[in-house]
Amino acid sequence: MKTAFFGRLVPAGLRCPSSEMICAVFCVFHSNFENIMAVLSSSSNLLLLLLISFLDWLSTPGSAFVTGRDHVTSSAPVEPHITECTSRNQETFRCWWSPGNFHNLSSPGTLRLFYLKKVMPTSEWKECPEYIYSNRECFFDMNHTSIWIPYCLQLRSQNLTYFNEDDCFTVENIVHPDPPVSLNWTLLEISPSGLSYDVMVNWEPPPSADVETGWMRIEYEIQYRERNSTNWEALEIQPQTQQTIYGLHIGEEYEVHIRCRMQAFTKFGEFSDSIFIQVTEIASKESTFPLTLVVLFGIVGILILIMLIVVSQQHRLMLILLPPVPAPKIKGIDPELLKKGKLDELNFILSGGGMGGLPTYAQDFYQAEPWVEFIEVEAEDADTGEKKDNQGTDTQRLLSQRISRHINIGFPDDDSGRSSCYNPDLPDQDTLMLMATLLPGQPEDREASFNAVERAPTPERGERPLVQTQTEGPQTWVNTDFYAQVSNVMPSGGVVLSPGQQLRIQESTLATEEKTQKREIKHKWSEDIEDNNQKELQFQLLVVDPEGSGYTTESIARQINTRPSSPVPGEGYQTIHPQPVETKPGATAEDNQSPYILPDSPQPQFFAPVADYTVVQEVDSQHSLLLNPPPRQSPPPCPPQHQLKAIPAMPVGYITPDLLGNLSP
Amino acid sequence: MHMLTGMQRCVWAILLLPYLLTLSIPLDCREEQGSLSRCPSISQEKLLDRVIQHAELIYRVSEESCSLFEEMFIPFPLQLQRNQASYACITKALPIPSSKGEIQQISNKWLLHSVLMLVQSWIEPLVYLQTSLDHNDAAPEMLLNKTKWVSEKLISLEQGVVVLIKKMLDEGMLTATRSEQGLFQYDVQPEMLESMMRDYTLLSCFKKDAHKMETFLKLLKCRQTDLYNCA
Repeated sequence: MKTAFFGRLVPAGLRCPSSEMICAVFCVFHSNFENIMAVLSSSSNLLLLLLISFLDWLSTPGSAFVTGRDHVTSSAPVEPHITECTSRNQETFRCWWSPGNFHNLSSPGTLRLFYLKKVMPTSEWKECPEYIYSNRECFFDMNHTSIWIPYCLQLRSQNLTYFNEDDCFTVENIVHPDPPVSLNWTLLEISPSGLSYDVMVNWEPPPSADVETGWMRIEYEIQYRERNSTNWEALEIQPQTQQTIYGLHIGEEYEVHIRCRMQAFTKFGEFSDSIFIQVTEIASKESTFPLTLVVLFGIVGILILIMLIVVSQQHRLMLILLPPVPAPKIKGIDPELLKKGKLDELNFILSGGGMGGLPTYAQDFYQAEPWVEFIEVEAEDADTGEKKDNQGTDTQRLLSQRISRHINIGFPDDDSGRSSCYNPDLPDQDTLMLMATLLPGQPEDREASFNAVERAPTPERGERPLVQTQTEGPQTWVNTDFYAQVSNVMPSGGVVLSPGQQLRIQESTLATEEKTQKREIKHKWSEDIEDNNQKELQFQLLVVDPEGSGYTTESIARQINTRPSSPVPGEGYQTIHPQPVETKPGATAEDNQSPYILPDSPQPQFFAPVADYTVVQEVDSQHSLLLNPPPRQSPPPCPPQHQLKAIPAMPVGYITPDLLGNLSP
Repeated sequence: MHMLTGMQRCVWAILLLPYLLTLSIPLDCREEQGSLSRCPSISQEKLLDRVIQHAELIYRVSEESCSLFEEMFIPFPLQLQRNQASYACITKALPIPSSKGEIQQISNKWLLHSVLMLVQSWIEPLVYLQTSLDHNDAAPEMLLNKTKWVSEKLISLEQGVVVLIKKMLDEGMLTATRSEQGLFQYDVQPEMLESMMRDYTLLSCFKKDAHKMETFLKLLKCRQTDLYNCA
């Protein structure tokens, strides 16, 4: 049979004649062929089988329905065949047949359907249990339906049997479940952009399928498409009865349908009826948008308002949050007395009523308060070395100070608050008074000043019982540039400035001097104090220096230092003309410094009672501080606007805090 | 389409494998006095659920294996012959109900015993199938893994059913009967084509029986929970 395809038989062992070319080739070919055939012999069965099957498949016009009708392509005469067998619920099934082209067999009854259940080799063909001729259908009910057992069907006419071997099946493999029912959808959510949305689709399993008992396990497949589209989009097959469709577009209409099949099987049932999903735009979305804008702008506006308030009321806020530094306290006086309404007591104290106990009291009071600002009187150290050498004499003691204190009262060089009559540099009289009155005095100096004052009339240089205490005083003095403490006031009107006790100026002598000069107030204490080495007492009171900067500091002090006792021109100074302390032993006259305020006309009332402060009553035309101005002394041509008004109200030099505000530049 | 679903199922099975492996706690707990019971006691409902899960997965994996085998080795025309070949399924002789009507009529005991019979009758043929596929060089690794997994799970399924029978029916411990060995006879020298067809027949028959087991067990569960609706 192998060689039948290849022509005449050639014995295998033939030796090919070498002479004849064609023959030789043919011989070779044959021999080779036989070898090849030997190799192929083992697989011939397979090939044959395949070939036969192929031919057989081609020859059957109506191929087995099991494979699907899409394989039917032949146009050969169609004999009666089974078109389809299907089961809806795995409990019953039905089959349809067709007579094919044999129209004479189309009438009912001419074709009969037989089935075989291959339970045992000896099973036999049985006829269809229930015919439905109108449909050419054979229905197998539950009694005749067996699962997992192969069925084979055949059609029989009166003479012939049309049987296709391939028309055999097991019922579970032909199950096409009914489509699910009650398909509906609910909107899940709309995306924030408002362009797409998600939908939850749910349904019920087909009623014919016995899912509850577990007879059938069903899985579902949802497909959807846009109205105008032709392609269906299929979602994942899953056994739940609900599924979410994501990403549908607003405004478009969608068509959705569903089908199902048995799990782990291949055959889907029919599709269900379609439902339509459409979600139109929701206009309410827009309303939230302006609302958020309004809220946002409101918040921003409020913030700006708060900022403006803070900026505009900055000062007040600063006052509230950071209270201003309290005004310097008068050493030795209970700050309670400084409050409003207690002028009498304060005046009493300042006038010396409580003098005896005041120093110590005050000393105790303020010793522990370093933050209390006290005006320091600092002796100018032209020669620092001499400081310590001057402890011996009274003057020295008076003048020596442990702490050099500076009294700098500086006036800013601006015109604010001053009248045109005045020299631009002339400070307010109030300010002057303030300065003078607020000069804190060291308690211990007072006694010394007292002593000094008592001796003031003796301008001669000599040992003066200077204040002794001085040095023991605690260093409560703070270096300030604005105040000097007046520890005592001479009966003659001179002011004793502490701590440097050199301040005790013999006002009498000085008064005369000043009177002659009328210019400046010098602390010419050089007559009184023989010791020049007190430089501690550098006293740079005041300072207004119209020519130069606002106030005089050391530079001017030095300047002053160098000057002899000749009075400095008045226009250069305002009040006190600090005289440098000369440390050279040689110098006598104006060596001392002791800053002091020289009153023109001493007034008795300022004598003892006022230990620490004095009131600058006036400033004369020469810009000298007049502590006790003579009655005849008339105020300057242009009476100062501000100052004296307040003065009469205060018998004793003392500025209330509210006045302080007026005086500050 | 077939390939896609096959792949899907393969992935499914592979994903579920670890889950199943964790389930495979030995169920044949022997009640030994005084010994540490390493087998946690399990309620009947849970046990039945587990058994059903086993059966479902076994069926799914067997279906995947069958499809894979079919696509790779069986030419299309011969695929139809599986229906005919099912005639030669080894378990055809077992007295197992085959219609829903019959199943609804039989008792729980009969259901369980049917399942047990099926399971026990397939243990050895699967081993043979495994060796046959191992000899087949063209068999893909996935197929081998699947069949191996199935034969393992089948053994644990058998154990589960035994315990279930003991719990539900209060019967004594049943030893694994191997009387069905006689049912299965195979040629010692299979030819390639025939071995292919035989493997294919085995696989499709096993798939069918796995489906049977799964259905039986589910019906049994329905009866346990709600007797009236599961008539």
